[in-house]
Amino acid sequence: MSTLTGTSALVRQNLRRDRIIAPLWMLVMVVFAVASAAATPSLFTTEADQLELARSLDEQPALRALYGPILDPHAVGELAMSKMTVLYALFAAVLFVILVRRHTRVEEESGRAELIGSTVVGRDAPAAAAVAECLGLSVLLGVLVAVADIVGGLDVAGSCWFGLTWIGTGCVASAASVLACQLSSSARTCGAIAAGLLGGAYLVRALGDGFRATWLSWLSPFGWNTQLRAWSDPRGWVALLYVALTVALLVAARVLRGHRDLGGGLLAARPGRPAGARWLASPLGLSVRVHRTMLVLWTVAVGGLGAAFGAMAPGLDDVIRSVGGGQELIGRLGGAMIAAVLSVVAMVITCYGITVVTHAAGDEAGERADMVLATGASRVGWFGATALTALGGSVWLLLVTGIGLWIGYGAAGGPDPSGSLSAAVGWMPAVLCVVALALLAWSLRPGWAVVGWAVLAVFLLLTLVGELLKLPGWVVRLSPYSAVPQYPAQAWRWTPELVLLAVAALVGGCAWLRFRGRDIG
Amino acid sequence: MGDPVVQARGLVKTFGRVRALDGLDLEVAAGEVHGFLGPNGAGKSTTIRILLGLMRATAGEARLFGGDPWREAPTLHRRLAYVPGDVSLWPNLSGGETIDLLLRMRGVDPATSRKGDMAERFKLDLTKAGRAYSKGNRQKVALVAAFAAEVDLLILDEPTSGLDPLMEQAFADCIAEHTGRGATVLLSSHILSEVERLADRVTIIREGRAVESGSLAQLRLAQAGGDENASLEELFLRAYQS
Repeated sequence: MSTLTGTSALVRQNLRRDRIIAPLWMLVMVVFAVASAAATPSLFTTEADQLELARSLDEQPALRALYGPILDPHAVGELAMSKMTVLYALFAAVLFVILVRRHTRVEEESGRAELIGSTVVGRDAPAAAAVAECLGLSVLLGVLVAVADIVGGLDVAGSCWFGLTWIGTGCVASAASVLACQLSSSARTCGAIAAGLLGGAYLVRALGDGFRATWLSWLSPFGWNTQLRAWSDPRGWVALLYVALTVALLVAARVLRGHRDLGGGLLAARPGRPAGARWLASPLGLSVRVHRTMLVLWTVAVGGLGAAFGAMAPGLDDVIRSVGGGQELIGRLGGAMIAAVLSVVAMVITCYGITVVTHAAGDEAGERADMVLATGASRVGWFGATALTALGGSVWLLLVTGIGLWIGYGAAGGPDPSGSLSAAVGWMPAVLCVVALALLAWSLRPGWAVVGWAVLAVFLLLTLVGELLKLPGWVVRLSPYSAVPQYPAQAWRWTPELVLLAVAALVGGCAWLRFRGRDIG
Repeated sequence: MGDPVVQARGLVKTFGRVRALDGLDLEVAAGEVHGFLGPNGAGKSTTIRILLGLMRATAGEARLFGGDPWREAPTLHRRLAYVPGDVSLWPNLSGGETIDLLLRMRGVDPATSRKGDMAERFKLDLTKAGRAYSKGNRQKVALVAAFAAEVDLLILDEPTSGLDPLMEQAFADCIAEHTGRGATVLLSSHILSEVERLADRVTIIREGRAVESGSLAQLRLAQAGGDENASLEELFLRAYQS
């Protein structure tokens, strides 16, 4: 029996378990691709417009950092796919982190891997199955995105090369995740390491592109997405870099796997405290204790991101003025830098809030909530702790982002830097609304907490694709992310902010009314 | 003997079309160890969850210390400790942290509790992370948290299912100590020999309804025609085969 025996059966099992999340995630990406491809050509009246716009956008360090440079201003495809080349490729890659972690380390942590391992399954089969599945899905996603671009009206050769960069990103992300999952015995830590690897690669490229230090961009696989030059004069050999890196990461993972036991990690598990801290005495204390590492990592990440992009932001206002006619395209590319960064960060921070809610649901499924609620802890305490950690944590992260932008923008000499904080505050009602909906889903039925992710996906689609497809404004504004003003790119408006806050409060109140009276578990 | 500590009358609980409890009666007197027996799916855990106020009964009445567990859960819970059947822990909290958390939430100061003593008796390493414990050790974390303080009522749902014989003995000693100072124990279990050894009275349930309730002697009279040697196992099987 080889160490890979049983891999194909496990791949089928994995695909069955992923039958909802994988198709949904890929569908969202494909819809973005079609919509972006189809919308762009209609935005310019003349080629001169396009050239001027592409050039002035490329002159903005912050935009280059966020989306990558525009290497050929003549290529419509490059403009059309500017968001998808790097930033959305990163979002797509998150799917592979989720899937690999779920089928390797989570299985080991839960003990299911032992059950599987006791059958006719080789030692390396679970990891191999996760890799095989994710490499396959990467290829599928790349092909679908290429087809989507062609359907959207972009040229065939460019679309194919572009799809290839997505295949490469997916393969590298899958291999990096399987490597990360060898390191710690904690599934959460492994996930954080994998996310850190991807985020780090994105950051290296952002710095390289932002400061025009091209050699730095070449160090990151995300930089290759741009440097392959899919849309004009492609460098096919760049594709080999993805292959080489994927193979290297997989070999490293295989070596590390050989040096550890099932369930173990290479980072030694430190002994914990024999006693709990004094404040670990209530559901809120528990929630803070459980989520504190995640919250600290998020705080550092959004604060650093805010400061870095804030520092690159000054000067964008000039572009908006100089281009004039290209206002709509600039709006599409994210408006003013701060508004653009915040719109992305706000959506990502919502993920933090939803994670907290799904964790509470997990505590119920695992009967840990029973243990807590069989003490003097009350239902209102349990619900309140979850709501406070989810909603309060999201507010905190937005504030940190705003302060980071303020510091970076101010240090770089941007006008009125404190406006960044107001801008961050402006996104709060939207984030609170979506997290409150996740709370409501959990309160209706603990198994429904995952609906929070579906709600987020629908709103993201409405916001990001709705405008491209020219859906009626009121439909797009059903998404809280479209309803809030994109301050400071647009004027501040109180009405949507207050309405969304009221909706969030109402939804949260309904969630509590339901939770108060429902069975636990 | 005073008012019963635990009292359930005509409990009904339905999940959709499934009738998990079908008019269940249960009475646990103060100071007794009450065995709660039934096969998987008979409704033992559902009953306990209703008694703890985690679930609301579709019909019938549940009382805990004479109070309504649904309305007064937190107040009543300060007087009891609960060990669930399938203990799962927070993966990133150590065993010691989990025990202190549970004790503090019951209003007990871990420093003055018998946590250290209990951890020693159950040979539990308090510094491991929750994810690193085996099933038996997870069970021990919950048992140490339950036994470390002097509560009036222990509700134990199959508490020894993952324990080795030595630990089962430690468990029996702890039960004896707690009843010795007047505590009441509701012990749901499959291990009939253990219940026979520990319990003063038992209730046997079947498909959500109590089919037998009383002391072992009373059960022998009812089921085995007074055969003094009939074991609880025989009585249990008879209750199920009739």
